[in-house]
Amino acid sequence: MVQAVLKATSSLDSQRHARMEVLKEKVEEEEAAEREEAAERAERGEKTKRPMEVRRGETTMTQEMLRDLERKLSEIEVSVPEKILTFTKDTIDTSKLPLSYQSNTLKEEHLLQVADNFSRQYSHLCPDRVPLFLHPLNECEVPKFVSTTIRPTLMPYPELYNWDTCAQFISDFLSMVPLPDPLKPPLYLYSSTTVLKYQKGNCFDFSTLLCSMLIGAGYDAYCVNGYGSRDLCYMDLTREVCPLTMKPKETVKEEEKAPPKKYAIKPPRDLTSRFEQEQEMKRQEAIKAEEENRRKQEEARLLEQENAKTDPLHGLRVHSWVLVLSGKREVPESFFIDPFTARSYSTQDDHFLGIESLWNHKNYWVNMQDCWNCCKELVFDLGDPVRWEYLLLGTDKPFLSLTEEEDEGMNDDDDVENLGKEDEDKSFDMPPSWVEQIEISPEAFETRCPNGKKVIQYKRAKLEKWAPYLNNNGLVCRLTTYEDLECTKTLEVKEWYQNREDMLELKHINKITGLNVDYFKPGHPQALRMHSYKSMQPEMDRVMEFYETARVDGLIKREETPKTMTEYYHGRPDFLSYRHVNFGPRMKKLALNSAESNPRPMVKITERFFRNPAKPADEDVAERVFLIAEERIQLRYHCRSDHITANKREFLRRMEVDSKGNKIIMTPDMCISFEVEPMEHTKKLLYQYEAMMKLKNEEKLSRHQAWESELEVLEILKLREEEEEAHTLTISIYDTKRNEKSKEYREAMERVLHEEHLRQVEAQLDYLAPFLAQLPPGEKLTRWQAVRLKEECLNDFKQRLIDKANLIQARFEKETQELQKKQQWYQENQVTLTPEDEDLYLSYCSQAMFRIRILEQRLSRHKELAPLKYLALEEKLYKDPRLVELLKVFV
Amino acid sequence: MNRLYDMEPRVMDDEMLKLAVGEQGPREEAGQLAKQEGILFKDVLSLQLDFQNILRIDNLWQFESLQKLQLDNNIIEKIEGLENLTHLVWLDLSFNNIEAIEGLDTLVNLEDLSLFNNRISKIDSLDALVKLQVLSLGNNHIGNLMNVIYLRRFKALRTLSLSGNPVAEDEDYKMFICAYLPDLVYLDFRRLDDHMKELAEMKHQYSIDELKHRENLVQARLEDEQARREELEEHKAAFVEQLNGTFLFDSMYTEDVEGSKLSHLPGVGELLEAYKDKFVIICLNIFEYGLKQQEKRKAELDNFMECVQEAIQENQEQGKLKIAKFEEKHLLSLNAIREESELSNIEAKIVQYSEDITELFNVLMTLEMQLMEQLEETINMFERNIIDLVGLFVENVQSLMAQCRDLENHHHEKLLEIAINILEKIVKGEMDEDLPDDVRSLFVDKDTIVNAVGASHDIHLLKIDNREDELVTRVNSWCTHLLDKIHKDEIMRNRKRVKEINQYIDHVQSELDSLECGDLLD
Repeated sequence: MVQAVLKATSSLDSQRHARMEVLKEKVEEEEAAEREEAAERAERGEKTKRPMEVRRGETTMTQEMLRDLERKLSEIEVSVPEKILTFTKDTIDTSKLPLSYQSNTLKEEHLLQVADNFSRQYSHLCPDRVPLFLHPLNECEVPKFVSTTIRPTLMPYPELYNWDTCAQFISDFLSMVPLPDPLKPPLYLYSSTTVLKYQKGNCFDFSTLLCSMLIGAGYDAYCVNGYGSRDLCYMDLTREVCPLTMKPKETVKEEEKAPPKKYAIKPPRDLTSRFEQEQEMKRQEAIKAEEENRRKQEEARLLEQENAKTDPLHGLRVHSWVLVLSGKREVPESFFIDPFTARSYSTQDDHFLGIESLWNHKNYWVNMQDCWNCCKELVFDLGDPVRWEYLLLGTDKPFLSLTEEEDEGMNDDDDVENLGKEDEDKSFDMPPSWVEQIEISPEAFETRCPNGKKVIQYKRAKLEKWAPYLNNNGLVCRLTTYEDLECTKTLEVKEWYQNREDMLELKHINKITGLNVDYFKPGHPQALRMHSYKSMQPEMDRVMEFYETARVDGLIKREETPKTMTEYYHGRPDFLSYRHVNFGPRMKKLALNSAESNPRPMVKITERFFRNPAKPADEDVAERVFLIAEERIQLRYHCRSDHITANKREFLRRMEVDSKGNKIIMTPDMCISFEVEPMEHTKKLLYQYEAMMKLKNEEKLSRHQAWESELEVLEILKLREEEEEAHTLTISIYDTKRNEKSKEYREAMERVLHEEHLRQVEAQLDYLAPFLAQLPPGEKLTRWQAVRLKEECLNDFKQRLIDKANLIQARFEKETQELQKKQQWYQENQVTLTPEDEDLYLSYCSQAMFRIRILEQRLSRHKELAPLKYLALEEKLYKDPRLVELLKVFV
Repeated sequence: MNRLYDMEPRVMDDEMLKLAVGEQGPREEAGQLAKQEGILFKDVLSLQLDFQNILRIDNLWQFESLQKLQLDNNIIEKIEGLENLTHLVWLDLSFNNIEAIEGLDTLVNLEDLSLFNNRISKIDSLDALVKLQVLSLGNNHIGNLMNVIYLRRFKALRTLSLSGNPVAEDEDYKMFICAYLPDLVYLDFRRLDDHMKELAEMKHQYSIDELKHRENLVQARLEDEQARREELEEHKAAFVEQLNGTFLFDSMYTEDVEGSKLSHLPGVGELLEAYKDKFVIICLNIFEYGLKQQEKRKAELDNFMECVQEAIQENQEQGKLKIAKFEEKHLLSLNAIREESELSNIEAKIVQYSEDITELFNVLMTLEMQLMEQLEETINMFERNIIDLVGLFVENVQSLMAQCRDLENHHHEKLLEIAINILEKIVKGEMDEDLPDDVRSLFVDKDTIVNAVGASHDIHLLKIDNREDELVTRVNSWCTHLLDKIHKDEIMRNRKRVKEINQYIDHVQSELDSLECGDLLD
């Protein structure tokens, strides 16, 4: 029953799918027709049209056929996979794309012609080679030259400035779609903007996008069309070792042997037999060699096992990747980047089986070198026209100075040299890219992977990635390593966290030993750096490391076993460096057995101290041991720099009573001491007594501190448990999107501002306020009052309008009169005037005339607008909420 | 000062001191112990002797480690007998009859000095007290405000009290002190606020600036002198001091009466000039060569010392390791012996243990012997090299000095020639120039003039020889001293180490013995 339902739904799905396809086809048909006309107008070359025609042939299915097909399709029960793996153009909405996507400019047309010409000559000269990948169709079915699809862009994120992080981003951001035909380059090459929008693409889309970003960031990067291994083409990393599991190579620094000094002492004579030594050495070497041999054999066997499946299509699979040439951005050596995995390979790597051509945003080169030995012997000197045939002349790649002279001679006999080098090309350079600027929104950048999640399967390892804040416990990455190739037995799990409030950074779980190790970033409330444990129960094996600078007591590390606790310190004012506590069995106490209420008795406390430079060495205690059960205290002092033995002292703390019952305070045998250089005052009983009293106090203190440490462990464990349960995430105060508090605050601020603004506007426009003020406040308006109010207001406004008109009129008249006066004066005195005065007069006239004209204009405009304004006010008053009720009747 | 009670002055005798020490010593249980053993004066850290009617400070020389001494409310008239108390930090001499500050020149650690209520009229003789922080001089007879400037040299002084002195009556008293002692925090037991300090500084700015300028000048001069002294010291270490100039040449002529007389002769002036130039150049050569050689010797010595230190260090590390290993074992075996009940087993273990001890002794001694031999060899090598170096230096200096002598001889010949020429001219009466009388008196006959020139020459040669001898003796004695010291140090080191090893072994052995005894007793 369920199955039937499922079937029904799936058939429905497929119907819908088919219908959509049909619709799309129709649209495409129309578009294609239009484009064809456009293409004809542009009188494009014969060959460039070809792919179009092929496409058209496909699309010219009649409606009937389509209907037929639809029917047929609806009959077929297709189980549509949930994830659409093939990235077809059906899913792309082409209607909203800009014009440059939908048509070609004249220059582009020209370029396509050139490319066709080049391609023709190439196929003529190299008939056994596959056709070049020059101008695939874009999402709007328009052929575009590959170089113009590269749009160099410098992204605003610093992470994308370097090639490794940039490639990593692209490999995370896009999900991979295999080529429709693994043996041919694709027919379509979409713009990077589209690819980014849908977050998926094939290897050509990947490498075009990566190339655009790298060139934008200043690298000398090229898209490569070539052949790759199966693993490479399908992004199959199951045979690769996960880079995260590899241990960083320890750079063993060769200790520089200082040249023997002139007065270095001669070593004592070696009296052992050299022969015996040699024999021993030989034996060791034999054992080592045998081991090595065995290991090698084992390795070879494993390798064979793994490589059992060979690829029948080896060397034919088309792949596209990115080549970064040395020179720019301090790249010391050329290398490949596989855009799927973001890994860099040397140009000699086995995965890359051949190169057909490569291009950047400026030019296109065809490889003329033999790839019989993969890419190992290729020379990436693009200026060498023998090895790399270029499409356009005049790029920035320098020619080899050597070949320049040879060029002339070779021109006649070697036609390949002449390819695409016609005179008309010489002044031709690559048209600008038709692709819109590449943009990645901050949200998308942060989410990274499609839906914020990505899983990569490696050899014996699985890597899962999540966007930050996607998991509410802050998990961003998980690496699971397995014992076997089938990934069934888990070896260990590593989990990386971000933005945790408890600063947890990495959790390392070893499934075999059951050992958990948590690593923390600085900032944990207890300054934890690392916590390794098997169980969260107290008094078990555990190690805690701390950021000692963040702690007042300078604790670095605390190790615990069921019977002991060891603490390491650094940088304390009392120079304590180490404290080791041995616990005895707990006293039986039935009621409560928690560590807090019934601490284990301490049997022995050992404390070590760093050298205190302020004290002389033979008074500076290096180690003191409190044997609590035996009531003994042992002291060992530091060794003086010119001595090899150190002072020692042992106190017996036992109180004894002499024969008369008096307490013996101190006897010489209560303190056994050894002194390297015997001193007078230390022999005194008084001195020893005082020292012992001090030690007694210190013993108490040490016991207290050890007890406090125990408490602290409990506290930390409790805190850790709480943190694990709550796993709250921190949000940066600069993260305005996620920070709820700041968001609320900001919104509140905005609201307040808005209200304020509204109020101000209202206050400005209150015409009635002066009139309302005359009335007694707080009373409700009567109708009569309201009418009067309105009348008054209108009258007032009218008066104001009239006044204003009068004012303008008055000014106008005054100005006119003055001008007239001046004119009169001029006419009377015209004869006697100096030229300066005349000039003055003229300028005055022109100014006055200007003023008069303006006043005239203002007056006429006022006359025009005044009635309108009056009406508008009247209207407003009618609608005024305070009057509207009272005036309604009259309307 | 005047006392209400008028007791007979007392003498600070042993009895009084013992009583005070006993009273002020440790209490309770510790006190019992102290009584049993008795307290040595040299261990006492603080002593209180107030209201004892003491007239004269005496008998305090035994209290070597005393840090705090209270002698207030006595009738002391003179500060004396405190020379040995160099560890003193706190000294209270208030309410006495002292008239002048004196006898404090050895108390370099003193931080707190109270001379309240005495008869002092001048602040003086405190130069040695570089760590002084608190100075109480209230109720005295200090009358000159300018006397306060003396206190500027105490950079650590923070508290001063001068109330009850005639100076405190001065209306400018506080301002003046504030201005001249800017680091002072408390005056007359009151804190000086910043505002006050600012005001005071403004008021006395000019005079203080002037004072500062003078102080700076003095300071600079002192530093200059110091630098010069150091440079000379360095040159002396290279044995070529004062050869970097005309000093030797000048000294040749200072005692040479005839020489200076002869320099007035016509033509001698130029000759002397040329001679001097050449001579100085050779001196400079010697000087530079000496410095270079000194550097070489120093490098050699440093290298040697470093190597020796390294060798000793390494040897010590080995020794320590051996001892640490032994000690680990030692603890275990001691415990084992203690816990063992069977007598025969005990004996076997004791034997085993003493064997271990012997072995440790042998190992340590072997190490020491080895080191000694190695060092001996190295020292001999160094000795050879340093002697070679010194020999070379002496040889070269001697050859340079010989050049000096040659120059002198040459000069002497020329001088003689000129002198004889002049003599001939004088004899012939052709001498037209006037010569000073004392010079002319030399030109009586040939013998006189030749003798005079010869005497001058002899003096010069003597000077050169002396300088050369001095240099050679000094460098040789330096060399012998150095080698002696190295040998002696090595012997000392060896003896000390052997002693240390023996001591340690004895200690371990005695521990074992005591255990044995205990066992036997049990």
